[in-house]
Amino acid sequence: MRARLRPPRTLKVTRMGRTYLVVTFGVGLGALNTGNNLLYLVLGLLLSVIILSGVLSERCLRDLTVRRVGVDGAFAGEPFAFRWGITRREGHAFALTLSEADSALTGEGSVGYLPAGAEHVVRADLTAPRRGPMKLLGVRVTTTWPLGLFAKTRVFELPGTLLVYPRRGFACGPPEDAAVSHVGEAPSPRRLDGTGDLAGLRELGEHEDARRVHWLKSASANRLLKVEREREERRTYVLEVRSGLEAEALERRCEEVAEQAHRLIEAGHEVGLELPGQRLRPGAGSGQERALLRALAWLGFEDEREEEAA
Amino acid sequence: MTRPLRLRLLLRDLSIAAAFASMAVSGQVPLWAFGLVLVAVLMGVLGRRPFARYPRLTAALLVPLAGVLYLAVASGQMDLVVAACSFAGLVAAQRVLSESSPATDGQVLLAGLLMIAGGAALSGELLFAVCLLTFAVLASLSLGLAVVEAAVPVGEPVPVRAVMRPLGRGTFVAMLGAMAFFILIPRLNWNVGVRRASPGLGTATSGFSDTVRLGGSGTLKSNPRVVLRARLSPDPGTEQLSSYWVGRTYDTFDGLEWSTIGASTKRHRTRVTLRPGADNQVYQRIELLPAYGSRTLIALETPAKLGNALTHTALGDRRTQLQELGGDELRFVEEGLGYSYEVYSVPPGTDTDPGRMNQQETDQLLALPDNLDPRMEELARRVVGDEKDPLAAAQKLSAWLQREYEYTLELSGDVADPLRDFLFVRKAGHCEHFATALTLMLRTQGFEARLATGFFGGERVGDEYLVRAGDAHAWTHVLVPGRGFVTVDATPPAFRANQSLQLIETMISLYESVEALWRKAVVDYSFRDQLDFVRSMSRPPRDASGQPRPSSSLPPLRAWVTAAGVALAIYGLVRALSQRRARRPAQEATRLVDAVERLLARAGLPPREGETLEDVSARLSGEAHPLAPVLAAITRRYLEARFGQRPLQSGESARLLAQLRRALDDGRPTARAS
Repeated sequence: MRARLRPPRTLKVTRMGRTYLVVTFGVGLGALNTGNNLLYLVLGLLLSVIILSGVLSERCLRDLTVRRVGVDGAFAGEPFAFRWGITRREGHAFALTLSEADSALTGEGSVGYLPAGAEHVVRADLTAPRRGPMKLLGVRVTTTWPLGLFAKTRVFELPGTLLVYPRRGFACGPPEDAAVSHVGEAPSPRRLDGTGDLAGLRELGEHEDARRVHWLKSASANRLLKVEREREERRTYVLEVRSGLEAEALERRCEEVAEQAHRLIEAGHEVGLELPGQRLRPGAGSGQERALLRALAWLGFEDEREEEAA
Repeated sequence: MTRPLRLRLLLRDLSIAAAFASMAVSGQVPLWAFGLVLVAVLMGVLGRRPFARYPRLTAALLVPLAGVLYLAVASGQMDLVVAACSFAGLVAAQRVLSESSPATDGQVLLAGLLMIAGGAALSGELLFAVCLLTFAVLASLSLGLAVVEAAVPVGEPVPVRAVMRPLGRGTFVAMLGAMAFFILIPRLNWNVGVRRASPGLGTATSGFSDTVRLGGSGTLKSNPRVVLRARLSPDPGTEQLSSYWVGRTYDTFDGLEWSTIGASTKRHRTRVTLRPGADNQVYQRIELLPAYGSRTLIALETPAKLGNALTHTALGDRRTQLQELGGDELRFVEEGLGYSYEVYSVPPGTDTDPGRMNQQETDQLLALPDNLDPRMEELARRVVGDEKDPLAAAQKLSAWLQREYEYTLELSGDVADPLRDFLFVRKAGHCEHFATALTLMLRTQGFEARLATGFFGGERVGDEYLVRAGDAHAWTHVLVPGRGFVTVDATPPAFRANQSLQLIETMISLYESVEALWRKAVVDYSFRDQLDFVRSMSRPPRDASGQPRPSSSLPPLRAWVTAAGVALAIYGLVRALSQRRARRPAQEATRLVDAVERLLARAGLPPREGETLEDVSARLSGEAHPLAPVLAAITRRYLEARFGQRPLQSGESARLLAQLRRALDDGRPTARAS
């Protein structure tokens, strides 16, 4: 509805434009008061510039085509790279600023000069305030060309959805014990370290099992060194978001699970996810992590997903 | 923060210089403010911004400067508008020397705008137009570059060349628009709290003061500024006039200064008759320009009637009255930017009345200073001999002075007795020395004479005569019984007119003619001119008598203008229509695709995400779908129409869709679409 009611072009006076209008008004009053022809001449120039600004900015927004190039991964609360492809069929455009219209996404990208023909990819660092799917209605293209007095805006209707993953960096505790050992890789439940021949030593990372420390080498190197074997240990975790969580609690749990999943998958473990009404089988690698994040992002927004599917 | 574009800052600083110059050309901006702004702009142009580190401290410096300006206004030493304009200049200077930022740049250019408005209020000079034009162009370019620079991502170059061309074109269009607005905005005048306009930059004539001190430096003779324009009737038809333009006369010399004993009248009149007229009087329509710098009326020797005077002010023209002073001087009652009036003068050589003089004034025509060197009388007697005719005696003395004495402007320093110094020591002087010597030598021999000042000469430009500040001159009036005052000039003829360099004179002439055009077309543009302009667009042109001009073989100018306008409109229409025709097939083809996709979606075959009609057709063909043949034909036709420059014919789109509908309804392929 909002998009329908929106005028095809919107015009906003910039801060400098406001002062410019005040000066124009003052010069107009001065001209009327004194009848000084030179003031009328200056007034004519000021008015002419206002009209010219409108015409040039309108020409700047004509013959444009915009598409979304997309985003690799958008996490709530932190800037992520977003791109639009913008093309002009003929003529030139200057000083274009692109942003998402009627969206909670903040941030904008800009292009100084857009010649005709070639597509220009505009990059922006956008920020989404919350997790979940965000409806994208259109792309707002604004120009302050030619003199920065007025900002003329045109919105290109371009429906789409941006899935925003849970916020990163939430400090959480270590995950619970692995639900299931990796069958065949670790025959003895007591033997949780890696198997196979010694592959090397490396510094013990944060959150890594201290039982893998090679104490002798560590003593000589004066730092904790971990033993790496040809077949590393791999455990399987199934993280869970209980049903009944709402609002802030749900958000915090999603962030916590996302963080745990990230850490576990980084460490080479397999991670599954138990959500209300949905279960993701354990898996490893970045693809699994992306699947977990997508599932977490949709959590609580299932209705919108169904609408999209329909 | 990235470094601002140097070109943009240069344009910005130069635009500020132009804005400040628009006020400075009025000659009213105080010198110290002028110096400060000049230094700031020079430093800015050189890229030095010493205030960048101390923006607040340096901004605080503006407070005492504002105080100084306030005191100057409060004490009546400075006009409020001048003070405000000067302060705007100082604010701009402080900003120019500070770090560049969007806010600073905006403040600088808005201060420039205020200065331009101030310049419009202070000056009517042609130079203002130049400054306005310069400011508009440079500020627009700077602002445009700033807008683009702000949108260019960090690290990428600003496309200066690409920006400059459309900006330049836009500025040019803005200028044309400004002229259109200027012509069409109704001239209203509330006339509240107006201020007086100034004569502008450059030395005006010394004016006509109540006294003339002998022995000045005489630099006025090289001043080529035009002070007077006159249209004469009957037209002399010569390129150079050898005429005397009198301003006022002096009858009393105290050894150092000339003055007049005649008292001024308090009456103000619109027309003044100085003496009875005569046959064949010379009518003059005179305009005194701002460079004249005085309120004394000028007229060709010997003026009989003067009047119908108009004062030119920033508010337009209005009638003014004249006041009669001693020494045949007439002054305008009101001060103005310039004046125009009418004069009737008796032609040279005509016997005329000497004018109204009381006995005291008549006696004064023989008065000699107390400390007159006795050798002067002896010298005059030796030259004049026993000549009894005043005019002949004057001519004898004049010829002797021209022969024996040299003309020079190189007179420095005051001397106690400048006349003695001229006659017996230096034996060189300028027009005032020659005229004073002649006048007093005549008086020593009992001939009545007085000093006259004004201008000599006149240069024809078009159908007018121009008189320059350098044409200022002094000569002698000899009272000849029965003939009245007769002009005798003792100054060597070669040195009577202005003595400026020819090149400078030519350049100034060019400037003055452009300025005259500027004043006529812009400064003095009035509501009546607007009405005339509108009338001229709707009615046939008329000559001065109000009669329609006789028809000529060529169409009138307005017909050409109208034809050009219509041609432009037709061109624009044809271009717009041709563009529309070019796009129409593509739009129709696109509509066809949309309709096809809708039909397919309705039939449960929607295109997948990112799939074009071509992809759908290929997919259905691959699946051996019964719709594939129909869809392939439609797709091919669409591609031809959209990209192959074979637009869809009228009704073809509907036919193709009908085929598709039938195929969908039947669930079987139909005949191939063509």
